[in-house]
Amino acid sequence: MTEVVTNNSNKLKAKDFITVGIFTAIIFVVEFACGMLGYIHPFIVASYVIMIPLVGAIPMMLFYTKVQKFGMITIMSVLIAIIMFVTGMGFLGAPLIIAAGVIADLIAKSGKYKSFKKTMFSYGVFCLWICANYFPVVITADAYRKSLTDGGYSAEYCNNLFLAINYKTIGILLVLCFVFGCLGAVIGKAVVKKHFEKAGIV
Amino acid sequence: MKLDPRTKLFMILVVSAVVMMSATTPFLWAVRIVMTLIPIILLIIEKKYTSAFGFTFLYAAALVMTFCFINEASATFFKTFVTGYSGIVVQFMPCLITAWYVVRTTKIGEFMSAMQKMHLPDGITISLAVVMRFFPTIREEYSSISDAMKMRGISLGGGNAAKMIEYRMIPLLFSCVNIGDELSAAAITRGLGGNVRRTSVETLKLHVSDWLLITAFTAVAVIFVLFKYVL
Repeated sequence: MTEVVTNNSNKLKAKDFITVGIFTAIIFVVEFACGMLGYIHPFIVASYVIMIPLVGAIPMMLFYTKVQKFGMITIMSVLIAIIMFVTGMGFLGAPLIIAAGVIADLIAKSGKYKSFKKTMFSYGVFCLWICANYFPVVITADAYRKSLTDGGYSAEYCNNLFLAINYKTIGILLVLCFVFGCLGAVIGKAVVKKHFEKAGIV
Repeated sequence: MKLDPRTKLFMILVVSAVVMMSATTPFLWAVRIVMTLIPIILLIIEKKYTSAFGFTFLYAAALVMTFCFINEASATFFKTFVTGYSGIVVQFMPCLITAWYVVRTTKIGEFMSAMQKMHLPDGITISLAVVMRFFPTIREEYSSISDAMKMRGISLGGGNAAKMIEYRMIPLLFSCVNIGDELSAAAITRGLGGNVRRTSVETLKLHVSDWLLITAFTAVAVIFVLFKYVL
């Protein structure tokens, strides 16, 4: 309850930054756990757009209940971009990740961070950051294939990967990502209600 | 030996950049392996023998695997699996080792004062510091949750994927939220987020070892780019 009282001003405080940090760490762990599965088969890489929005929705919906000011979602996307760079995913996707974060933030803001409908769309847009990881695959397709085969991947893996992710399917992947983001938001909201609201954490 | 956090950040930057460019010739592989050895040596200097040994073993095993299996038509599932995994280990291990070294040896205070010196905005600095501090916490909490589940005989959630995720995620989130509240209380007591510029007990200065490492990593980056794209 005290949160509501102290969060009156529009400026972000240390507490908000800490919240952002914690949830970014959790989201990254989710991403990393799903990412590890991707090395089994390239089609799983494509199915990130389904897995990560659904699983990540639970922490994100809890995060959204704590967001009351503009900037928190944006900072989260910047952090994700930094972490993606540090873990070797390249910087091609970074502008996309940050753009998704800013737009998601703006959508949620237009609902004053309270309207669930807006939150749902906002999370759907935010999930598009996952597609940013496909960027090197789509844009630099030939160079990327070469770097993969040089890096020790089998030719079969590459063929399947490019079968699943290319400039034709990226549109479908983006839409899927958004749709499953929205769906995940509904599920995540239900889970948050079931566990956290009853416990009085939110 | 104590390194400046800025040197460590530079190390991360170079390693992530080099990892993104694939090594195509034996010479480039050698450069990359040498680059990976530096953080391992640093780990040994810091007396983190177990992790240093573990990383070396994993990296070496993955290298051997990659060079033995590479370019072979990997038909069987097992082979695809092994090549896939060792490929990924070889590719990202340098990053992982460097990041591990940095996270393990940098105190949050040092990190904060380095970021402040580089004039990064508070929001990024604080959040990033929390992220860094939080990975070990998540691991600890997760293993406690696993223990608790084992004690009650719930191992896989009855094979139901949604249940498996729920059983792990919800307790984890509960403890993370609580830890977050404690963390904010502790941070605010120490004057984080106040209007005044914070001072730090850590005085940061680049020593000889810092300059040596910076030179070494710059050299690695330059050599890599030169031999890959120019020559």
